[in-house]
Amino acid sequence: MTEPILSVRDLKKHYPLKAGLLNRQVGAAKAVDGISFDIYPGETLGLVGESGCGKSTAATSIMHLEEPTAGEVIFNGGGRAGTSRNEDGTHPNDVTRFNKTELKSFRRDAQMIFQDPASSFNPRMPVGDAVAELLLVHGMSDRHRRRVIVEDLLERVGLSATDYDRYPHEFSGGQKQRIALARALVLNPDFIVADEPVSALDVSIKAEVLKLINDLQEEFGLSMLFISHDMSVIAKVCDRVAVMYLGEIVEIGDTDTIFESPQHPYSEALLSAIPTPDPRNRSQGIELTGEVPDPSNPPSGCRFHTRCHRVIQPEEFDLGAEEWRNVLHLRDQVAIDALELDSIRENALADRDKEETEIPDSVIKSQIRDEFDVPETLTDPALDETLGEALDYLVDEDVETATKTLKETFQTPCETEVPEHVDHGDGHRSACLRNGSEHERVELAADD
Amino acid sequence: MSAPNPEPVLEVEGLSTTFRTDEGELIAVDGIDFEVHEGETVCIVGESGSGKTVATESVTRLIKEPPGTIDGTVRFNGRDLMTLNKKELRRVRGKQIAHIFQNPQEAMNHCYSVGWQIVEALTVHDDVPKAEARARAIDLMDRVGIANASARFDDYPHEFSGGQKQRVMIAMALVGNPDLLIADEPTTALDVTVQAQILKLLNELQDDYGMSMLFVTHDLGVVAEIADRVIVMYSGKVMERAGVYDIFEQPAHPYTQALMDCIPDKGRDVGGIPGSLPNPHDPPDGCRFAPRCEHAIEDCTVGTQPEEVDLDDDHSVSCVFYQSGYDSTVVEQGGTIERSTGDGTEVEATDD
Repeated sequence: MTEPILSVRDLKKHYPLKAGLLNRQVGAAKAVDGISFDIYPGETLGLVGESGCGKSTAATSIMHLEEPTAGEVIFNGGGRAGTSRNEDGTHPNDVTRFNKTELKSFRRDAQMIFQDPASSFNPRMPVGDAVAELLLVHGMSDRHRRRVIVEDLLERVGLSATDYDRYPHEFSGGQKQRIALARALVLNPDFIVADEPVSALDVSIKAEVLKLINDLQEEFGLSMLFISHDMSVIAKVCDRVAVMYLGEIVEIGDTDTIFESPQHPYSEALLSAIPTPDPRNRSQGIELTGEVPDPSNPPSGCRFHTRCHRVIQPEEFDLGAEEWRNVLHLRDQVAIDALELDSIRENALADRDKEETEIPDSVIKSQIRDEFDVPETLTDPALDETLGEALDYLVDEDVETATKTLKETFQTPCETEVPEHVDHGDGHRSACLRNGSEHERVELAADD
Repeated sequence: MSAPNPEPVLEVEGLSTTFRTDEGELIAVDGIDFEVHEGETVCIVGESGSGKTVATESVTRLIKEPPGTIDGTVRFNGRDLMTLNKKELRRVRGKQIAHIFQNPQEAMNHCYSVGWQIVEALTVHDDVPKAEARARAIDLMDRVGIANASARFDDYPHEFSGGQKQRVMIAMALVGNPDLLIADEPTTALDVTVQAQILKLLNELQDDYGMSMLFVTHDLGVVAEIADRVIVMYSGKVMERAGVYDIFEQPAHPYTQALMDCIPDKGRDVGGIPGSLPNPHDPPDGCRFAPRCEHAIEDCTVGTQPEEVDLDDDHSVSCVFYQSGYDSTVVEQGGTIERSTGDGTEVEATDD
């Protein structure tokens, strides 16, 4: 097997959270929390996930624009191929250990493109000079040669040589992104990180720029890490995809395989969020509720379980998938004391006769069930009894006991067990408990 | 589906918006007509710079005059908004016609709490006591899906994520129980997953409040999710208008077809639309799209934008090839036939 051009091993980036007079560290926002992947020469790996799941932090840590907290980034491009590990276990091509000179030469061989082309150019510098500056920094002192190279490159990205002396404001967003591409290519790198390069562009321009990226990649034999939140863009340019959630890679594999049979529920949800250009087939996707949780306090077990549409039931339970999810949601809301009993009482009061001042507890309880779409009686009578008990405590303002009762009974393996990566063959891995043999039975039950 | 009431909520005729600039007159919107019926969602779609935002902002005259000049008539519930004075106009804005914008970050004041800003919007239009305003604001926040609304009332905009801020903006737009909601690219700055949530919310709210909606976007994927009728704009002119099914199944104008081909779809290699929008100071003669159109002939580049030709009920197109004496099959082929092989599902459905 050929050597990868980039190997990332267990990369972590934690931002310390400090508080108090002495500015002591009280915790850490784990933006990237142990990711590993390889990129082979000529390949494009897509890194996909919602805002706040750590994609961009991963990119800046790989490029060493920020110091990673832990892990290795081994870059074998730019004539560094064929080295083996040192005796002490470190790797000579580990970017995280590069000194100043090594870093400078690394930044010749690896380039980055950013999301917003408008803010990545100096408005007072002609775009040609902005591109040529990189050549100057890396030692090309002949002004005329610099100009020839840049003019040639501007033409190759679909602009004209005469654009050299124009200023950024004279270009549209799509054109600016082309110049950003020229700037990334001017040092003839082996590897490019593109951080949401088309998210700020119109659909028609987006398609153009994606095509250009594909063409240039072939022409220059580039390897690429392509970051996006949009699966439909990933499909256009990537050979393989890594799906990221809350600092971890939950699934990685060939683009075709992941699009055809996603193994992780999060990949499934991201795929179904792509708007389909078919008005007869509206919003039948899986709805991903809420947002990415706080990375300083990630959920236990599988980090996705709080939003997962396939969250596993204990083996002895037999609730509908929807019912089970709603009960869990109710449990979590009770645990953080987010239920507004007073407003529920008021609402109930408003619905009834004016003379009544006391609302029977049973009404309040059914209001609570209603609010969380939990049915009047659960399909499992024993469980329903426990839920009823907990609601009794809740109505008596004893939130603590209610929480305890709910927590003891309603538990999902997803919050206690951390899922391991399971190999599906051909480098397709995913981290979901449903893929482990132990839970296969449950998966079938949840599928219907 | 829509429009039991024959009188449209909004009726725009001959709307032109121009700006005085150093380089001469800039024509952003060049004589467009459209109407929005009760309970209906009309999408205006086109590339950046096609004039869609200026067209919607001209409706409530949010365009600064001067340098802008708005001509034409805008009838809203039977009243001509162009003849109203500032005070009367303010009563319409935000109360009967509400706007939400692309970037919720910029549309909010970050020095005031989110709840305060909703209350302000409420009290501008209604004389309500403070406690009631607060209760209504919390109700609205709850309705647009902000969890634990009463606790978040006093939080500041920076404590909300992009999607939640857009929800707050929607809550603010709903304070006056508007008849018409103008949404200008409300999901463009958001993630795909959050976009799906916001579109779903808007659909639900529209049913609950019985609002009409004028929705501006450049993304046909979004159009397919939300529109009843679609208006395709290019360089200040209307290229094509039709019901949402017709637009996707039989796009008639070469520009609409080109936009359809830009949708990233697995397995098809598309390269966007070559060329760029014409200079708004000096639009070309004839059809505005002709310089970028692969079918353009000499007749496309003379005179003015072709008259809209009715193809069907509620489907009309402004293209030379559909006028009598021309062969419309030249342009039809590009769209209809290829499209139906593109996605398999759309052909058999016959409901509505």
